[in-house]
Amino acid sequence: MNCFDPDRRQFLKMSAASAGSALVLGISWTESIESSEKASPPFSPNAWLRIDTDDIVTIFIAESEMGQGTYTALAMMVAEELEADWQKVRVEHASLDPAYGFQGTGGSRSVRRNWKTLRNAGAIARQMLLNAGADYFNVAIDGCQADRSRIVHAASSQSVSYADLVTRAAKLPIPSSIALKKPDTYKLIGSSIPRLDLAEKLDGSARYGIDTKLPGMCYATIVQSPVFGGRVKQVNTSDIKKRPGIIDCFTLDEGVVVVAKDTWQAFQARKALKIEWSEGESAKLNSEDIIQTLTQHASLETKSLILEKGEPLSQLEDHSNPIETQYDLPFQAHMTPEPMNCTVQIQQQRIRIWAPTQSPTNAKASALAALKSLIAEPTQDKIEALEQRIEVITPLLGGGFGRRNIQDYVSQAVKIAHRIDQPLQLVWPRSEDLQHDYYHPITQHHLRGVLDKQGIPQVWHHQITGLQVDEYGAQTLPYSIPHILVEMQRLNSPVPIGPWRSVSHHYNAFAIEHFFDELAVAGGHDPLQLRLQLLSEPRLKTILQIAAEAASWNQQSEQRVLGCAVHSSFGSHVAEVVELIKDDNQAFRLGKVTCVIDCGITINPDTIK
Amino acid sequence: AQLEIDSDTPLLWVLRDHLDLTGSKYSCGIGLCGSCMVLVDDQPMQACQITAHEVVGKKVVTIEGLAKENNHPILKAWYEIQVPQCGYCQSGQIIMAYALLKNNSKPTDDEIDKAMSRVLCRCGTYPRIRQAIHQAAGMMREKEVSS
Repeated sequence: MNCFDPDRRQFLKMSAASAGSALVLGISWTESIESSEKASPPFSPNAWLRIDTDDIVTIFIAESEMGQGTYTALAMMVAEELEADWQKVRVEHASLDPAYGFQGTGGSRSVRRNWKTLRNAGAIARQMLLNAGADYFNVAIDGCQADRSRIVHAASSQSVSYADLVTRAAKLPIPSSIALKKPDTYKLIGSSIPRLDLAEKLDGSARYGIDTKLPGMCYATIVQSPVFGGRVKQVNTSDIKKRPGIIDCFTLDEGVVVVAKDTWQAFQARKALKIEWSEGESAKLNSEDIIQTLTQHASLETKSLILEKGEPLSQLEDHSNPIETQYDLPFQAHMTPEPMNCTVQIQQQRIRIWAPTQSPTNAKASALAALKSLIAEPTQDKIEALEQRIEVITPLLGGGFGRRNIQDYVSQAVKIAHRIDQPLQLVWPRSEDLQHDYYHPITQHHLRGVLDKQGIPQVWHHQITGLQVDEYGAQTLPYSIPHILVEMQRLNSPVPIGPWRSVSHHYNAFAIEHFFDELAVAGGHDPLQLRLQLLSEPRLKTILQIAAEAASWNQQSEQRVLGCAVHSSFGSHVAEVVELIKDDNQAFRLGKVTCVIDCGITINPDTIK
Repeated sequence: AQLEIDSDTPLLWVLRDHLDLTGSKYSCGIGLCGSCMVLVDDQPMQACQITAHEVVGKKVVTIEGLAKENNHPILKAWYEIQVPQCGYCQSGQIIMAYALLKNNSKPTDDEIDKAMSRVLCRCGTYPRIRQAIHQAAGMMREKEVSS
């Protein structure tokens, strides 16, 4: 991966302008590889894959693996079109490189956004190997086929391995047009394939960010203000420095840092810190006041319109007694099992950052901003020189859930390493991780509905109020209701806010589906039947029917109660039926949850189950 | 390896920072999550809760040690069922399953749930953990019969 175009600066500009990963397909690394010192050059037709002369196919994955199975699914997409022998496929996390466009994993989009790009990357390589194979056999290309990492010429019963063709293929031009496989010829896509990262996750050899070890590395930890935005006024750093194993103790804008010879010494010293904080504006911030602020703002006129259909307001005025409800959903912390951590090594030539991040691109930007703040007179030349030196390495992530889209731990680690002048690992204790999350926002949902004489909903009014709240999941309503109004009141937050799994879909879906049930009950309808009657998305209707049947919807009793819900997000449709069972003490316990998903094309079905 | 460390250092940090055995994970550090589960004289213990001093003269087995038993039925079942997602807690899960099956060759669902509740999984792999334990138990019983 070191054999990249020397004119990197030009390249950065190019990819920034196009900002899409498809760009890479036009890039050939062939020349630089040929000029490298290797006797037998590998074949790297594009940034996504390399075939070595030992026949190993290495696929570079530019999305973070945090348990969602992305390494395997994306590799399958390349290998499918490449007609690679799956046993010879390996994955490596792509280095941070403009060739991949913006590197950031989130929004449930890894498969969707790589779907075309990666199949194209595999197909281009396959076409080049076919060309090389035809040339090798000295036959017409029409008679050649790619199959399990070999080019086969059936007429003469000959075949040659990809390994034996890589040198020849590397010299060929990139084909200008290629044909993708027809879905009915897929061998990998749609089959359950064991995860490629599994063996190392079973024997303890998998390296997450926190498992990065460098020679001479020291260990740092941090205390940040217990009040958001607070600053250190005074701290007993000189006492701390006398403790065994302590290398340094100092203050940053973010809080107080302890550096030690091992993590435990750093954690113990952290506990011994006596800090006086200047708490600032947020000192009196509390949940009750935040909730009250939401309630007050809910009635203001500054709402933004999300969805309007029919004449909802005049309809509501005509009805003196609409059905009304309010749902309050709390702040949520991410609690990634692997706490925030980052390892940094600053050397003359390069600044290496091991960041278990969802976005290496953002990690680099945060690191650069941190370094910029530390150098005297940061001229454009100095900044560019710094940028050239930064290398971000993405190990496995022990969970992400959106938290690792925010790079506070990266910029802290860079600042500490800059001061210490030794390789360094920053680890937040669990308490720090929980107290300094970028929380999923608190939201309030006010809903009003009107039924006709048959108990069928005629008016739907959903008002979302929250801190940096989003409308996704509420901009469409899957039900045919004549009059709809969805509005949103988005307030600035004194609490750090960040994305959480599904971003805003789950709080909006929660409100919509619960209120739909309230309307069904008020109108005397079965919540399932009313959904089936009013659902306008046929795919939702189908999966809800399947789920209801699988859960035996019709077999309900006082002892066995069922509820159902549907939602569409990120191109997928989901239906769930939840069972509650009354136990001997007349209390309900959760029984079986039946979930049916229509996510379109499935790459690796076992990872969806 | 010979180490000179403060005897109050928890076993977890001896393993991770001084012996480079990083399979045992730090997650909560206060004995709640079980990600750092190891076997001390065959008993499952959270490595963040015992000091180096307390394990002097005792046999400590981490995931790295357990994995050396080639093709152990638990690891085999874990692979066949494809248990891990992010995988961070899985060494703790596997150690705990090992301890459970050592004392109970045919655990019920309830017994599995009870024993395994000491190790938290943020990805929610519990149904597959249960399935894998049943499968491993089956393989281990078969092995017993045939040997």
